[in-house]
Amino acid sequence: MRALLRRLLDTPAYVWAALLLTALLLFLAQVTRLQGVDGAVVVRQAHVQLPLEPASAARPVALPHVWDDVHRSWSGEAWYRITLPPELAALARQEPGIGLLLPRVGVRFRVLFNGHELASEGWRRGPGYLDAGTQAHFVALPASLMRSPWQDNRIEVQLRGQALRISGLSPVWFGPADVLLQRHHWLQWWQVHLTWMVAASAFLLGLLSLLIWAHSGERLFGLLAGGLLVLTGRLALSAPVFLPGPFVLWDYLHKLSFTLYCGLIYLFMSELFDFGQGPARKLVRMMMLAGPLWLAVQAWAGDYQLYRLWTGVIVLVCLFALLQVMHRARWGLDVNQRLMVVVGLATVVTGLRDFMVVQLGLPGDADIRWMTPGSLVLMFAMGWVLLQRVTRSLEQVGRLNAELARQVSEREEELHAVFDRLRQAENQRVLETERRRLTRDMHDGLGSQLVQTLNLVRSSGERIESAAVASMLSHALEELRMTLDSLEPMEGDLPTILGTLRQRITPALQAARIELDWQVQEVPAVPGLEARGVMHLFRCLQEVFANVVKHAHATRVTVRTWQEGSQVLLSVSDNGVGLGAMPAGQAFRAGGRGMGNLRLRAGEIGAELRFSDARPGTCVTLAFDLGGATARREGPA
Amino acid sequence: MTDTDERPAGTAAAGDTRIYLIEDDDSILQFLQRALLARPGWHLSGHSGSLAHAREHALRSQANVFLVDLGLPDGNGEDLLRLLAREQPEAELLVFTVFGEESRLIGALSAGATGYVLKGCSPQELIEAIEQIREGGAPISPLLARLLLKQFRSVQAGQPPDPADTPDEVVWLSERETEVLKLVAHGYVNKEIAAKLGISPATVSTHIKNLYRKLSVHSRVQVVRIAQERGLL
Repeated sequence: MRALLRRLLDTPAYVWAALLLTALLLFLAQVTRLQGVDGAVVVRQAHVQLPLEPASAARPVALPHVWDDVHRSWSGEAWYRITLPPELAALARQEPGIGLLLPRVGVRFRVLFNGHELASEGWRRGPGYLDAGTQAHFVALPASLMRSPWQDNRIEVQLRGQALRISGLSPVWFGPADVLLQRHHWLQWWQVHLTWMVAASAFLLGLLSLLIWAHSGERLFGLLAGGLLVLTGRLALSAPVFLPGPFVLWDYLHKLSFTLYCGLIYLFMSELFDFGQGPARKLVRMMMLAGPLWLAVQAWAGDYQLYRLWTGVIVLVCLFALLQVMHRARWGLDVNQRLMVVVGLATVVTGLRDFMVVQLGLPGDADIRWMTPGSLVLMFAMGWVLLQRVTRSLEQVGRLNAELARQVSEREEELHAVFDRLRQAENQRVLETERRRLTRDMHDGLGSQLVQTLNLVRSSGERIESAAVASMLSHALEELRMTLDSLEPMEGDLPTILGTLRQRITPALQAARIELDWQVQEVPAVPGLEARGVMHLFRCLQEVFANVVKHAHATRVTVRTWQEGSQVLLSVSDNGVGLGAMPAGQAFRAGGRGMGNLRLRAGEIGAELRFSDARPGTCVTLAFDLGGATARREGPA
Repeated sequence: MTDTDERPAGTAAAGDTRIYLIEDDDSILQFLQRALLARPGWHLSGHSGSLAHAREHALRSQANVFLVDLGLPDGNGEDLLRLLAREQPEAELLVFTVFGEESRLIGALSAGATGYVLKGCSPQELIEAIEQIREGGAPISPLLARLLLKQFRSVQAGQPPDPADTPDEVVWLSERETEVLKLVAHGYVNKEIAAKLGISPATVSTHIKNLYRKLSVHSRVQVVRIAQERGLL
């Protein structure tokens, strides 16, 4: 069962549409075949009298009798006297009695039986839009009103015509009431119920298209919505309704709606097929522009023939457009386009059939129009296409989203790669900076120590002063240790940095018999004292202590740290001779060069260097700002 | 080392000193042998030039001082320290290092080292360092103290640690231990610390030694815990 359903769904829509349509057309042909109804007699003869022209005598006419064929723009009144067929005399007094069926009569009428009015449609209504001819009418003939002998019974159908409409009387059916009632129901279904059904469907589908159009702005849906809403209007005006107001106006709208419907549906198809500006499209546009004018002229002239002509034009244009579509089909059509060609063709066939049977009077059941079910099929096909289209665009959105996600993830990967490269470059830069600093430190400290030692060994000749060499080598080792210490993570912890330095300077101070007074207190972490900063601080303090040991003649040196507001202070003070008393050129290594170095290094770590008189002795103070990154990142050591 | 200046050298306690050297540099062996000439009572129980050799022979040597170089040609000295700490808990395990980088020392102390001696010192300094350690001294640097302070958790003043809130991996520092470590980190030497806290310099050393023990015990606890977690025990 499921496999069968799947196979059905896999079959292209146009194939089964073609099959269904063929079946429908065959069914319509069968239903509207001219055939008699059992027991019914069709009367095709009547005597007509024009009451507005009392002088004229009653004259026999053949039915159907259409006034427009006789008088252009006829809107008078006509009384048709019909003789009851003698075959019914036997049935008249039996159950269920007899009746008559008026398949088409219009546009307003009443039926009199032996002078008694049995039925009427719009007869006493004031001006307005009404066409009784849109549906069939059944009238039961009560036995009580029957006269004897049979020939004395008179049926009179009085009608009022309306310019621009087919006014007149179709052949009248007489027969058993039940049989005629059945036929009446059948016609009612085709003429009224089906019309309303199609109108409701067109309205809903049109509304849906309108919403999609409002949402998506796609012309295709706008055209479809226009076409379907126009069709709704046309079908409403084709049903038996009474509308107040001038008849001409409603009739004009009714006729115009057909032109617009055909035009809009063609434009929809041309848009669907993506045809561009083909000649058919131009022709249809011209038709849609000319239609209102032509119909206005028709209304003004009151000539129904002009409308008949116009209907012919529409059918021809539609045929031409459809031929164009078929012509295009040589380049291949997709499933939807094929479906529309098939359905469009079927619709044109229904239109053509109605035109030929109703307007040109070719044989066929003119009471049943093919166009109405034809429109329904066309509409459903359009609904199908609509659904396909929306589904496809949803799929496209899905695909676009997936593509977008793919692109985003690609960009993300690229960005990651770029960030990685940047990070690597940054690491490289940091490594390079650090390498340069280490090289410089090695060069200035360890390197020069080793060179001095080497020179000493070389100049000593055979007699090497091993004590001096050992001392110089341990100096070199100390230098190296200091460099390594500076690489340990100190995180700006000034007391620990000083403690580490203390280990290095203690032997020298002990040798010089200088007492070290350690007054270091906990202070906040100093920003900028990372590896490079630590090395600068080491060198600064080395310089300061070297100065104390060599020139100050001090016996005591005090190292102190404390905080003052937003500053951390570090002081090294001695009780020696003081700066002023030092021989010129001695203090801070050879005439201020040491001082310059001190200032430079202090600047590198963002510290302010102050010298003051300690009375006695000298006090060197380094003030660090806690405020932030005052330390410069780059620069010569 | 901050405690080199405060102990009289060569007391009787260090008399029976048997040293085992684990070091691949022969010049260090010669240096040690020269240094030992100054202490006739001390002797060199043996030496290994590689980790494999040391594993084979060091434990049988009856030495009570092991001098261990961390960078051995066939492996990491820390593994050996762990072995020695387990098998010879009474012995002093001294790391023999050129620079005394604190971040490496922490690893060695965790493995069970009880102190360190810097290579490049004079023979006299080496003898003194060994003597001090044998007498309960503990070498420490400001940076090492700082690292220990970061590694351990201090007991808040006046509040004993809450056992419920104390997972195995947390090592608590007593108030006094914290004070000692802080002062060391600030560059104060043992004598100054003793004076500031009103205790003897030996007590300061005892505190530090205790800390080293805690560090190694703590690391052993961690090893056991990790082994349990992995289902090895």
